[in-house]
Amino acid sequence: MSERLLTVEGLSVDLVRDGGLVPVLRDVSLALEGRQVLGIVGESGSGKTVLAKALVGWVAEPLVASRGVVRFRGQDLLAMPPEARRILRGSAVGYIGADPGSSFDPTLPVGRQIVEKVQAVRADIDARAAKKRVLDLLDRVHIPSAARRFDEFPHQYSGGMLQRAMIVDALASDPAFLVCDNITQPLDVTVAAQIMRLLHELRSDLDAGIVFISTSLPVVCDIADELVVLSRGEIVERSTPARLLEAPAHPYSQDLIARNPIIWGTPPLPVPAEASPRVILAVDDVTKTYVVPDRTRFFGTQAVKAVRGVSFAVHGGENLGLVGESGCGKSTLSRLLSWVEQPDQGRIRFKGQDIAGMSAQQLLAMRKGFQLLLQDPFNCLPPNLPIGRSVAMSLQIHGGLGRKAIAEQVRAVMAEVGLKEDDRERLPIGMSAGQRQRVNIARALILEPELLILDETLSALDPMEQARLLDLFERLQARHGFTYLFISHDLAMVRRVCTRIAVMYLGKVVELADTRSVFFEPTHPYTRALLSAVPTLEEKPFKAADCLLEGEPPSPIDLPQGCSFAARCPHAMPRCRVEEPPLVDLGGGRFSACWLNEPEVSRAA
Amino acid sequence: MGFALTFFARRLGQGVLIVLLVSFTIFALLRVVPGDPARIILGPMATDEVLEQTARDMGLRDPIPLQYMRYLGQVAKGDFGTSFIKAKGGGSMGGGRDEARGERARVLDLVAETLPLTLQLAGLALVFTALIALPLGIAGGLMAGRWPDKLALYASSIFVSLPNFWLAIVLALVVTAKLGWIPSIGYQNIAYAILPAFVIAIEMSPLFIRSLSVSIADTMRHPFVELAQVRGLSPRRIFSHHVLRNAAVPVLNLFGVQIGALLGGVLVVEYIFDYPGFGLLTVQAVLQRDFPVIQGIAIISTSIFVVINILVDFVSAQIDPRIEY
Repeated sequence: MSERLLTVEGLSVDLVRDGGLVPVLRDVSLALEGRQVLGIVGESGSGKTVLAKALVGWVAEPLVASRGVVRFRGQDLLAMPPEARRILRGSAVGYIGADPGSSFDPTLPVGRQIVEKVQAVRADIDARAAKKRVLDLLDRVHIPSAARRFDEFPHQYSGGMLQRAMIVDALASDPAFLVCDNITQPLDVTVAAQIMRLLHELRSDLDAGIVFISTSLPVVCDIADELVVLSRGEIVERSTPARLLEAPAHPYSQDLIARNPIIWGTPPLPVPAEASPRVILAVDDVTKTYVVPDRTRFFGTQAVKAVRGVSFAVHGGENLGLVGESGCGKSTLSRLLSWVEQPDQGRIRFKGQDIAGMSAQQLLAMRKGFQLLLQDPFNCLPPNLPIGRSVAMSLQIHGGLGRKAIAEQVRAVMAEVGLKEDDRERLPIGMSAGQRQRVNIARALILEPELLILDETLSALDPMEQARLLDLFERLQARHGFTYLFISHDLAMVRRVCTRIAVMYLGKVVELADTRSVFFEPTHPYTRALLSAVPTLEEKPFKAADCLLEGEPPSPIDLPQGCSFAARCPHAMPRCRVEEPPLVDLGGGRFSACWLNEPEVSRAA
Repeated sequence: MGFALTFFARRLGQGVLIVLLVSFTIFALLRVVPGDPARIILGPMATDEVLEQTARDMGLRDPIPLQYMRYLGQVAKGDFGTSFIKAKGGGSMGGGRDEARGERARVLDLVAETLPLTLQLAGLALVFTALIALPLGIAGGLMAGRWPDKLALYASSIFVSLPNFWLAIVLALVVTAKLGWIPSIGYQNIAYAILPAFVIAIEMSPLFIRSLSVSIADTMRHPFVELAQVRGLSPRRIFSHHVLRNAAVPVLNLFGVQIGALLGGVLVVEYIFDYPGFGLLTVQAVLQRDFPVIQGIAIISTSIFVVINILVDFVSAQIDPRIEY
């Protein structure tokens, strides 16, 4: 019998805590052949990352491998002497992690670090050859101007680029076995789609077995030949992607499939409860540029154009979604809207009143009607204050109420967001992310605002908790008539709750329309690219291959002339590289900024 | 090398501004506080007329900014003035009115005599600090929470609680006077610098021990350090090429700030050991209201501080390219 590339037999890993053992992985068995892709899908906390590391023989304190073996070509990786394991790990085994941003030493050029690794494990490759090999690979993973990039530092790379560099790092020593641990998770959807495309491209000419681990079922199904479902440290189902989707055997797998968002399928589009023509928030041609020092020039500065002329209006009772990938300016915009920072140009009006002209007192009164909920539930709460007092503080700041009345309102509002009576005396420490986010909601809610700006409020939560909070938002809206502005990168979530959607790219709104139009008849190529990149299990109307070109989004410091999407747009025309398309009215409340809409505009006019 | 050029041009420009500000502050303060330099030079016996005459001759009655500009003009020509008190030979000559002004010691000469001795002392003190802090701090950082970490903590607690003047006196008494192992008090050769340097090192090392162990422990927790082992780098290489490099920046910055403390420590220690360096010169000049010497010392020690901090920042930026200045 020829030796299998990788076999895992009965592997159990425990966490040593307070003298006892907490099981993390239980009786996991796997097998992998050369040139095969084995998918492992599981939620956060299922033991995925522990398994991924155990597969490369990496089980460190406070974890212990209490039973089982991990055999790579017949050698037990867990029982090997450390020095032999180190050499094997760097050369025959490659590992790509989920966190490309902190995978390299920040103080050394990326290329040099990859060469360092090659030389540490392959005595047969000299420095010249190693450098040449790394340069070739950087080229092969489509890193533009590889020779220059070789000498650049990690902070000069974007997240997607760093993940490509990590792939080069893993491939540089010709591994026979490659572990990809959740490699697309921290990336923007379009960048993740490009990385997956690269992986497909590489696997056809790689002579390696790949274990591909991810939280996202659609992503695993996209690449794996076979897959296993991991839940609470145990393998609950072994299948192939096609079979699993068609007939999931285990209830957990069924649940996993059911929880995947459906975008183009059956669930109804949200209908505004009461679409009122009253404009609550009007944003008019708002611009924000940050000036940062340029260390390459004497007294030089660079301008980061974060928001470039954004206009939209939020009507009473509607849910407006603002979507875009990182760096598109959505967070800057939320800071401008809440007047944490002032725009360089343009006006923001809240209920018809220009915020810029407000006195400090008016501003305080305005803020009462206008609450911001942020993404990070951990740093938003004062850690040394019982949450009852945190919630009461909102009212104290705005004043005018006695202690009794405040206590009464705190009790009512905490009950409304689903916090228990005796939670009032608890400190934020020890509360889950979802609970903390409820406290934040209570702090905003107690002021009876009209408009809630949700800046990635649900992004840090797991899907279950996310769904519960969305229900809560819906209930609150029905009862209080709130207006929501959802700022998010999560298209599926926005699809579920928003009635209108604005799509942002590099500081501009490129498309603004009702949810149906945006998802079914998008008019801007970037919207199509974004939709094509969303990982879903359903058949998509847009294919990533047709909608998105290779290439990175340009930097907001150095914006190209013309349309900023032109470099990645499959439909780009010469005109797009010269002239920037304005946001034009296509009729029916649809707006789009693309030269392709020209004929339609003339028809509408 | 465009970065280095703009960096130094900009930082030296800022540095000159700092030195000017400090020297003007000291210049103005010296002239505001009670104690007329003319009286000090002429002694208590001189009549008021002679006193006024001398003061006017020396320009001491002009507006302070004018006096300062005049002083700066001389400094620009390399002339820091002459001491009010010190004679060329080294002895003090205050109070006598007959001595010619030309025989008083030039400030630049006084500095040139004493500064090398102090640099030698400071250098030795830094070597001792490194010998104490590097092993303790690195071991403490690598084995955070275990006995080397505790040893580092206890050692630095003890060092920080020892007053420098007490330690200096005890060491001089025991090591020099009683046991006669190492000479101290005064100066004849480099052996006389050992005890003072040791006292300064004990004073400075606790900060470096803590800073080193904290920044090494922090760096060890970085994901890239763990990942480097999965990538196949050996633990030794990870430590020498990556951990030390990343941990160096905070320690370097502490060093830049501690230069001030070093100069202060030198002051006290030189005085106690009667070590004829820059610190002793400063103490004497202050006690005797020797204005030109104090001004010269202020300009030179500020310049040392500024230059060392510019170098520290430059080296930090070379180590970690993310640092912006």
